[in-house]
Amino acid sequence: MADRLLFSKTGRAKYISHLDLMRTFQRAFARAHISIKHTEGFHPHPFVSIALPLSVGYSSQCEILEFGLADHSILYEDVPYRLTAAMPEGIVVHQCYPDGQKLKDLAYVDYIMNFEYPEGRPQETETAMQQLLCRESLIVKKKSNKAKLGYTEVDLIPLIRNWNLECQSDTMTVDAVVSAQNPGLNPELIRSAFCQSFPEFIPDFVTFHRREILNRTGDIFR
Amino acid sequence: MNRTLEHILPKVQKPARYTGGEYNAVVKEKHTVKTRYALCFPDTYEIGMSNLGCRILYGVMNQCPDIWCERCFAPWGDMEEEMRREGLLLYGLESGDPISDFDIIGFSLGYEMAYTNVLNMLDLAGLPLRSANRSELTPLIVAGGTCCYNPEPLAPFVDFFVLGEGEDVTLEYIRLYQQAQEECWSKEEFLLEAAKIEGIYVPSFYDPIYNADGTLSQMAIKEGSGAPERVVKRIVTDMDKSYFPTKTVIPSTEIVHDRVMLELFRGCIRGCRFCQAGYVYRPVRNRNPQLLAEYGKASCEDSGYQEMTLSSLSSTDYPCLLELCDNLLDYCAPRDIGLSLPSLRADTFSMNLMERLQRVRKGGLTFAPEAGTQRLRDAINKNLREEDLLQSCRTAFAGGWSGVKLYFMLGLPTETDEDVLGIADLARKVYFTWREYTSNRARGVRITVSTSWFVPKPHTAFQWEAQIPVSEYQRRVNLLRDALKRDKSITYNWHDPETSYLEAIFSRGDRRLANVLEWAWEHGAKMDSWTEYFDYQRWMDALAACGLDGDFYAHRQRSREEVFPWCRVDTKVSSSFLWRERELCYKSQTTPDCRTRCSGCGANCLLSGGVCNG
Repeated sequence: MADRLLFSKTGRAKYISHLDLMRTFQRAFARAHISIKHTEGFHPHPFVSIALPLSVGYSSQCEILEFGLADHSILYEDVPYRLTAAMPEGIVVHQCYPDGQKLKDLAYVDYIMNFEYPEGRPQETETAMQQLLCRESLIVKKKSNKAKLGYTEVDLIPLIRNWNLECQSDTMTVDAVVSAQNPGLNPELIRSAFCQSFPEFIPDFVTFHRREILNRTGDIFR
Repeated sequence: MNRTLEHILPKVQKPARYTGGEYNAVVKEKHTVKTRYALCFPDTYEIGMSNLGCRILYGVMNQCPDIWCERCFAPWGDMEEEMRREGLLLYGLESGDPISDFDIIGFSLGYEMAYTNVLNMLDLAGLPLRSANRSELTPLIVAGGTCCYNPEPLAPFVDFFVLGEGEDVTLEYIRLYQQAQEECWSKEEFLLEAAKIEGIYVPSFYDPIYNADGTLSQMAIKEGSGAPERVVKRIVTDMDKSYFPTKTVIPSTEIVHDRVMLELFRGCIRGCRFCQAGYVYRPVRNRNPQLLAEYGKASCEDSGYQEMTLSSLSSTDYPCLLELCDNLLDYCAPRDIGLSLPSLRADTFSMNLMERLQRVRKGGLTFAPEAGTQRLRDAINKNLREEDLLQSCRTAFAGGWSGVKLYFMLGLPTETDEDVLGIADLARKVYFTWREYTSNRARGVRITVSTSWFVPKPHTAFQWEAQIPVSEYQRRVNLLRDALKRDKSITYNWHDPETSYLEAIFSRGDRRLANVLEWAWEHGAKMDSWTEYFDYQRWMDALAACGLDGDFYAHRQRSREEVFPWCRVDTKVSSSFLWRERELCYKSQTTPDCRTRCSGCGANCLLSGGVCNG
């Protein structure tokens, strides 16, 4: 039986890497005087596990961390504020609760990608993106350390459950629900596919934000 | 966060180094503070964040409501490239504001190979390198740290240097700066007043005058400056009343010394004749063990660190070490907090102490005999007997340790081939000790012998000595390598000679070397302590372009009468004492440690009452 945290990672904290974030949590638990279960073995250390690693530079409002409260006198509702106070800027713990749904049921992630055109967005970008995402298949090369060639080929289309496009004068926002794991889709691939297909519409910058995580039926995962 | 920065960060390695926002980072409202200070460390975030001095000064300044001290480190090459391309000026990590807008920019100088980073950081901040080209009072460029005991190679770039420990003097010059600002002083007016503060060396008030042979004739005091004949270093007189940082910035990414650092005492009772730290940090001043235990616990509570290290120049010389370890272990052990103890002397390494440390985690074991024979160890006053070292190894191997690192120097004054080969003999004796005493022979043993090339340092008994020529150093390395060739359990590592040669040039260099620094920087020198960036040929070209001979600085024996570039800097360890120590070296005679008998170095006069608490 494990416990879970729901937290967000935004602002300056976006740049904390996955491994550094785990270490940050281990220390934050100690700073907040919340004792947590340790791993067993020769070098026991506080056990924490992040459900779905987030790329460096992405923000998120729906991160899940698994751990085990070792001290049952601590109330679940006290954990968020105590832990948040012990965190670097940008990490806010929202909820602490016993686990329910299995992590393998975490099926989809809703990402908000913001394509920025500070000089003004070309009108055609909207249809270009629509065209791209409406294709039958969209095969891109993905870097892989395991594959002999140094990359593998993935078809993005079956990994995108649904999407929505919203455009403003200087931005194009893609709201995409994509496969979370086995295999998951990093929305960076959508950006690079767009830039490759439409080099004339390469945006100045793209931000990525995880808005929600969902189970197989499309309901919110906690 | 700044938009430009946000666009750059996804393109660089380890971006968390450049964002700030860490736990305990101090953010103040800039309109409510009078003085903004950029505490700059001229190396990467990982190195600079590990520096205890910076942790102390950050806390000392930020305790004052009207001062906001921010941190600033040298960006790695990829980040620098992006910053220059996007026109992003070097900024303070806390606010993200360019440090050129700050009041004071202070550099911590710990090693000579970081000098080009000082120039590079000034340039990245958009500031003129030379003090003379910065006519305004603001921003002031200040430098402190061990390297400032010979400030001359950086003299033209820095407005003033701070000698010694910064806890008190930092606030003193900030207060003076605040007065200067309120009363609209010019930079010159400010520096005239600053030079009156003890411990402040204003380089523009001292003019080096050279003899025909290139040596110094004198460091002339600028007329009317009122600058002191000798600038005496500052020390904290009572370690129990001085500031200790229990609340430090906890990095969100890994740094070099990612742990609680507990400073046991300052100074060192030993008096090794090559050791600059051992001389310039005198006199010895201990911290109270109860207080230390409290600091240690408070630091762990606040940081969440799972590791604590006891730091000092020679931790086993701390009089209450066992008491302190016991006290700390009672706290650490149940919480799985590791306690490590570097700077152990092999002679006092007791079974008792080892058992205590083993209660939590077993770190590596490192000893620094420095020289291979008793004769040479006596000559450098490293009062360590072979029997003591072997006894320590016996204890360690019997207790389950299966690796030991041994550090030596090659090229020490009076060294002969016999001394070099003595290193191999000593390493072999350590190996045989292992065979005899190990509790588990099947596991094998790793004995690592490392040698560095001795660099004579200012303010030491060897400040008059020549560094041996590089060919001779290479020959001695080869001699030792051949001698150790057949010992499979002994690994031999040696320092590459190129950086040690440059260190020898700059550590005792004069003001003319500033041109060399500037030339090298203009031709791309930076991060010279990193092999990725270090380019020896560039430095040779820089010396040639400035018409200077590196050997003149590194390999020349100085006479007793020579005027040194650091002659205006006073550590209160007298020159006659250092000369006496040098003569004793040539007679291979030792000097007892300060606790056994006072040798009259002179540093005790810095304490009221004149008695060290060695």
